[in-house]
Amino acid sequence: MMNFTNLLLAGLATGAIYALVAIGFTLLWQTSQTINFAQGEFVMVPAFFALAALNVGMPLPLALLVGLGLSMLVLGVLFKRLLVDPMLRHGVLPLAICTMALSIFLKETVKEVYSAEASRFPSFLPGGNLSIFGTTISIQSLSIFVFALCVVVALQMFLMRTSTGRQMQATAQNPYVAKLLGVPVERMILYTFLINAALVAIASFLISPVYLAKFSAGETLGLAAFIAAIVGGFNQIRGAIVGGLLLGVVDNLAAAYVSTQYRGAVPLFLLIAVILFRPQGLMGRAEERTV
Amino acid sequence: MMKPVLSVRDVVAGYGEMTILNGTTFDVMPGTITTVIGPNGAGKSTVFKTIFGMLKARQGTVHFKDADITNASPRKLLALGLCYVPQGRNIFPELSVLHNLELGGIAAGADVNVPHRVDAVLERFPVLRRKGQQQAGTLSGGEQKLLEIARSLLLDPQLMLIDEPSIGLSPIMVQEVFSILKDLRAKGVSILMIEQNARSALEISDDGLVLELGRTRMQDRAQILLNDPRVGQLFLGGVIEDTAS
Repeated sequence: MMNFTNLLLAGLATGAIYALVAIGFTLLWQTSQTINFAQGEFVMVPAFFALAALNVGMPLPLALLVGLGLSMLVLGVLFKRLLVDPMLRHGVLPLAICTMALSIFLKETVKEVYSAEASRFPSFLPGGNLSIFGTTISIQSLSIFVFALCVVVALQMFLMRTSTGRQMQATAQNPYVAKLLGVPVERMILYTFLINAALVAIASFLISPVYLAKFSAGETLGLAAFIAAIVGGFNQIRGAIVGGLLLGVVDNLAAAYVSTQYRGAVPLFLLIAVILFRPQGLMGRAEERTV
Repeated sequence: MMKPVLSVRDVVAGYGEMTILNGTTFDVMPGTITTVIGPNGAGKSTVFKTIFGMLKARQGTVHFKDADITNASPRKLLALGLCYVPQGRNIFPELSVLHNLELGGIAAGADVNVPHRVDAVLERFPVLRRKGQQQAGTLSGGEQKLLEIARSLLLDPQLMLIDEPSIGLSPIMVQEVFSILKDLRAKGVSILMIEQNARSALEISDDGLVLELGRTRMQDRAQILLNDPRVGQLFLGGVIEDTAS
């Protein structure tokens, strides 16, 4: 049996990736009432952008940058302009249904255009094992966890410490008043979509070396991010962080100590328990909104 | 004769197919408090939204001093010297009090020193300075209203539109808010106010304006409106009889 420390660390690593995806999910909901059911596919796609760049002979760092840039363009700007803006006028629900369609579209497109097989994806982080006090620790897990955490901290710093970040928060908390004060609300919403696209791209580059790049990789990831966001509190970034980490750890420990067969069920138990006993999420505040 | 600071002429506006303002016309004189009264649905808040660029005027004009501001954006109006404190709670609950204030300076030109202005505004609101680092959502209802007023003063406005400032506040806090408005008037700021609490509002006002079905039914000195039996009747649910005047 794997030792507990490593299980915990692997859980935290996956959890931190879930957290990145869940934060993006929460941000989109806060600023533009977009429930993005294609969020999982958004994590799957950037790896293929990067793979395409690698296939034309680019070195890994450049390919990742190209993947990041393409993600921000396609999953950020184009997603907002071509799908969210026209659909949001019809309401939150039609938009949510459209994102479900987008999820199928992205999955099938990658399968047709690239491959139905799983592809290996190179890691930009160090791998191998490290021995401390007789315990073997996976450097890959550790470095994923640390890197994802740095991204979250950088995002929080941006949102809290810069004027643009605070204007984004103002837009999320009360768009009407933000507009009254002269905040360029539309631009702030666009920034949110760009940040989400960057977050899913980073998540993609972190998780694909572990679980391989595959057209169907988004199915579990999207569900995990959705659960993480709800468990943590749908309207709070720190909720998404807590939800993501908790889910990653519970998921890994359940697979090792309970049964791998029930691995997929445990997050759902967690979800049901939270919805039953604390519907606003662990960190969330109650919110009233007519949908 | 003094020129009005704000003049609204024959404004028509509404939501979708529905027309709420139907040729609204009135003036606000500099350095005065003007109170808008009228029954529910008369279009009081709609006038404010239209002046402040949140709702499009289909016809008519709005002038601020000599500038035509019909359908100008909030950002432009703020830079010109208007501000708007809407009804209800309008703070950003999860940002600190200071950051809320600072957002009042978003529309500032390059010549405005925002931190300096935040400091100047806090001079008048010691309670906000004391609680500067707290999340704005933790303030009491009255303090939140003070924060909104303080935030609207950040760009040193010449004209303030304030919608139902007393709603949901304790009587002491209402007095506090009214005395702030009087102080502002003493400093030369013109105030256009909507207030359910019509009697107390007219008592501190110079001018009054009765709006009914999107039209200006009466505009006169506040003192005269206070003593007008027709105004009392209006607030008992009656309709003003057509008069020869």
